Amino acid sequence: MRSVRIRWSLAVSLMVIGCCAGSHGMVLQAASGEAGDFREAVDFNRDVRPILAENCYACHGFDEAAREADLRLDTFAGAIGRDGGNAAIVPGKPDESELVARILTDDADLRMPPVDSGKRLTDAQQQTLRRWVEQGAAYETHWAFVPPQAHEPPPVEGISHPIDRFIQARLAGEGITPSQRANSETLIRRVSLDLTGLPPTPAQIDAFVTAAAADPEAAYRELVERLLASPHYGERWALWWLDQARYADSNGYSIDAPRQIWAYRDWVVDAFNQDMPFDTFTIEQLAGDLLPSATERQRIATGFHRNTQINQEGGIDREQFRVDSVFDRVATTGTVWLGLTIGCAQCHDHKFDPISQVEYYQMFAFLNNQDEPSMKVYGRDGDAGEAEGDAEPLTTTLVLKERAQPRKTHVLIKGDFTRPGAEVTPGTPAVLHPLERPAERTDEPLDRLDLARWIVSPRNPLTARVIVNRLWQQHFGRGLVEIENDFGLQGSSPSHPELLDWLALEFVRQGWSIKAMQRLIVSSHTYQQTSRLRPELDEQDPENYLLARQRRLRLDAEIIRDASLVASGLLSPKLGGPPVYPPIPEGVMGQGQVKRAWKASVGEDRYRRGLYTFKFRATPPPALSVFDAPDGFSTCTRRLRSNTPLQALTLMNDPAHVQFATALEKIIVRDGLETAFRRCTSRTPTEDELAVLTQLDPLSAARTLLNLDETITRE
Amino acid sequence: MSDKMQNRDRLREETRRHFFSRCSMGVGSMALASLMADSAGAASAAEPMQPKTPHFPPKAKNVIFLFMAGGPSQLETFEYKPELTKRNGEPIPSSFVEGKRFAFMDSSHRSDLLGTTRSFRRYGKNGTWVSDLLPHTANIVDELTIVKTCKTDLFNHAPAKFFMNTGSGLFGRPSMGAWVTYGLGSECDDLPGFLVLQSGPRGPRGGAVLWGSGVLPTTYQGVPLRNQGDPILNLSTPESIEPAQQRAVVDAVRELNLKRLVETGDEEISTRINAYELAYRMQSSAPELMDTAGESAETLALYGIKDPNESSYARNCLLARRLVERGVRFIQLYHTNWDHHGGPTENLQKHLPEICKEIDQATAALVMDLKRRGLLDDTIVIWGGEFGRTPMGEVRENTGRNHHIDAFTMWFAGGGFKAGHVYGETDEFGFGAIENPVHVHDLHATILHQLGLDHNRLSVRFQGLDFRLTGVDPAHVVKDLLA
Repeated sequence: MRSVRIRWSLAVSLMVIGCCAGSHGMVLQAASGEAGDFREAVDFNRDVRPILAENCYACHGFDEAAREADLRLDTFAGAIGRDGGNAAIVPGKPDESELVARILTDDADLRMPPVDSGKRLTDAQQQTLRRWVEQGAAYETHWAFVPPQAHEPPPVEGISHPIDRFIQARLAGEGITPSQRANSETLIRRVSLDLTGLPPTPAQIDAFVTAAAADPEAAYRELVERLLASPHYGERWALWWLDQARYADSNGYSIDAPRQIWAYRDWVVDAFNQDMPFDTFTIEQLAGDLLPSATERQRIATGFHRNTQINQEGGIDREQFRVDSVFDRVATTGTVWLGLTIGCAQCHDHKFDPISQVEYYQMFAFLNNQDEPSMKVYGRDGDAGEAEGDAEPLTTTLVLKERAQPRKTHVLIKGDFTRPGAEVTPGTPAVLHPLERPAERTDEPLDRLDLARWIVSPRNPLTARVIVNRLWQQHFGRGLVEIENDFGLQGSSPSHPELLDWLALEFVRQGWSIKAMQRLIVSSHTYQQTSRLRPELDEQDPENYLLARQRRLRLDAEIIRDASLVASGLLSPKLGGPPVYPPIPEGVMGQGQVKRAWKASVGEDRYRRGLYTFKFRATPPPALSVFDAPDGFSTCTRRLRSNTPLQALTLMNDPAHVQFATALEKIIVRDGLETAFRRCTSRTPTEDELAVLTQLDPLSAARTLLNLDETITRE
Repeated sequence: MSDKMQNRDRLREETRRHFFSRCSMGVGSMALASLMADSAGAASAAEPMQPKTPHFPPKAKNVIFLFMAGGPSQLETFEYKPELTKRNGEPIPSSFVEGKRFAFMDSSHRSDLLGTTRSFRRYGKNGTWVSDLLPHTANIVDELTIVKTCKTDLFNHAPAKFFMNTGSGLFGRPSMGAWVTYGLGSECDDLPGFLVLQSGPRGPRGGAVLWGSGVLPTTYQGVPLRNQGDPILNLSTPESIEPAQQRAVVDAVRELNLKRLVETGDEEISTRINAYELAYRMQSSAPELMDTAGESAETLALYGIKDPNESSYARNCLLARRLVERGVRFIQLYHTNWDHHGGPTENLQKHLPEICKEIDQATAALVMDLKRRGLLDDTIVIWGGEFGRTPMGEVRENTGRNHHIDAFTMWFAGGGFKAGHVYGETDEFGFGAIENPVHVHDLHATILHQLGLDHNRLSVRFQGLDFRLTGVDPAHVVKDLLA
């Protein structure tokens, strides 16, 4: 029967392709920077800029030092020679434009881009540029530097959710209908894993399935509220943020000594659980120590930029590594909040984005003025400075502390700390919104607090977009802007620009509430659709950019551990505290220069969530790194999802996973195979599936279940 | 119909047949693997280690990098500098060191020349100088390209090791082995494509990051072959599990994953099915690799292996040959500790001769063994560390030398490198190149070139930059090293 069904659906898909390919190929081509229908006006941001940025700007762009032939193509004035340089374009006259001649010529010595650059324009790209010149060669400001525009969600009959209106209007335009809502079992698993990182228990599944049968909307709403209110929500989303903060529990480099900074990790968990507005969240992490009468907690928050490595090797020049850590802070701030590759301007003007090397060091200057102490934590929420004389500190944590006397900052020639150039003072890139300060502060020098406030200014065109895009990425496996860490000229255009802008404005309107945005996203039909592949869309939208369905996603490394702990009934729900040492295979810690001790925890600390596992940068926990947990060397804004034999060996043979299986075996003996299957996959097995499992002894059945692709996936 | 759809259709058909016929594991996995590899692009997503076509026809297929961790002294091994010995104890002329920075600048670093106490002789067809510390290597100089003017950027161990391995001094960039397997896949379908073997008293500074994959998928990171216990982490079936149970679990996982694949059509599941099959094959192929019982007494003697079950650099050299025979793409050996600053535990009089003895015979044996088995033409063997040592001595209680980055010696064998060739010339003290300096990035470009990879095109975009092994500044293939 099944084979018939598949054959049939393929036949249908062939017919659909036959009907639609001609008129609907355009959307996806445009997304990849290629030309669309020739009758349509060329759109600079959508069609032209990606071609110029990729192929031309390296030698004819913003970086004056690298500019060839005194020609710049990143501005209209430059392209027509009004800037005093050479002209390459005569607007409206492609046949008189050197640019057109040079991209079309057969002469390999003259052709652009040059042969030895390894770059090459496709025929379609050549024609796009020609038509653009013909149509007047209009330039537009790069979309991400224009503030988000208010768009009314387009009307779609019978649809009220704003996200669905944007998505479905687009789908309708392509002649595609959205997928059905996923079934209740899939939905509760998906939204539980997405919001709390823990799969639902059979009892929770039963309750939801029953409630949803009566009133699907109300049951789902209630479920989402329960999950958002769970303390495990903060743990899951802290993981998301800690990747970006490049958090780990050791100093890195070759010595890689342990460090104490887990109070910062707990601060992040708590901030998500309290739904701290993202602007406050930002200010406290970048400049909590500079807030008026900063509290202990606000100082702990500055641990964000203490997650840099510290080199304790003998014979080093300390200043070199201090400067390296500031480089990392500038790059991380740029990537995490602005979605810009500011770090590229460390050695030279940015090749693609309008950020000069001087502007880079102006940003550097904001982050160059702190001492880097370890602070005693007393766990009280008053003034950090007050009455700690007789109290015993709970722990210590790494923080930033602004120096009374600012360091001088110089441009470093080629990024070399031994080659200081001109002195610079703090400042922000001219291409973005101006930095405005309250009147009472205008006399003082700019500091990190000004930088933080500038980043979360509602006039900033980037931050809200960047963050909502990254939230979206978590819920759909890909952002509306696919290249989530580069909103600059070499990045990718949004698949749904109006929706992205609408979400960014809504984020600010809702007081920068992350929970509000997640409530909004997961309550959409778009999110709740089934992830089943639709072969009939293979030609039209094979990568699912248009979101006519959800997507199966392998769980993150720590969540695989957590889900296995839940399935086997071992999970300790304990929140926060020092990192723990669950058992790891012997010999793992012997690889670095210094053999670090790993004294396995006892009691419930063996069964804590993956978030709490002690993380050495040089020798990360193997069961986590094998599933792509980031290494904490630099910011990670999107995890890879690899799929390797070493993962199979881990799930089959790692002593910890064998222990999970032994616990699940007991559950099989006590409650039966079906319950165990549901604990792993959140659904009821088919008879076929049960038949495979019943052939096995209970331990083998337990190991099988914990190794299923479905057990480590949310569908 | 697109290739992808055709592929999926065939895949579904195949998985159904596979499921119903319950064919043996090997055949099934091969069929699945071949189905996944319908085109280059699809191959990398579905079967990342599938062999890939290089940019141009390669001269070599495999690499064995013998990494002498800590920085071996070129002045006690390959660099014959009588002038240095003659002027032992004199201050180095200031023209050499002005404006230079060194490790340990404020404490033990000093500027008096230190002559060697080793004796040098000429070997081979070209009369190549080699010291008495490396008699076996001396006998194979006609197979080697010796580069005396290697140059690196960084003088602390960990950053310099990163630089030699990843082309960057920063933590966490993709290593050469990761780049090569990313670019070429691997010919071996029952072992990882990039394996790392270690010997010596401790792990190399920098640890697992040295063979990391950085911004490339973790599939391409080096897998350490361990000296004790399982050769690969979690390779063995746990003691509490019977072999028949393991087999039953692997079969059941496959059956249930196949059902889910048919139900959902998600090709990630077929990749996972493949991964489990490879994992299961590794469970037998890795122990078989480590079992050297089939090696002749003559071969063991050639490498100087007394007890084949005892872990040593020599045994790792033998394993490297066995890995090349199995088609593993990139093999890296680390041997510590070459950091001879002087002092009671790391001086030039006692400890350098010891470590040279540990590596000399087996290194030469590896090259000769590869050659007599016809494997040397396809395999690049690289010998060297992260930097060299200064011509000046250090102020410690026993003789030693500081880290030196301006000129140090590495050698290459096989893989289309010129046999019996010495390249580059240094000044009378061996401080810097007076002709033909070879930067680490140039070495990387040259190695990639021999493998059929263009270092400019082997790149991946991350944080707005095109990352490549050879970095931002232009790197050059050193054609003069090549046959």
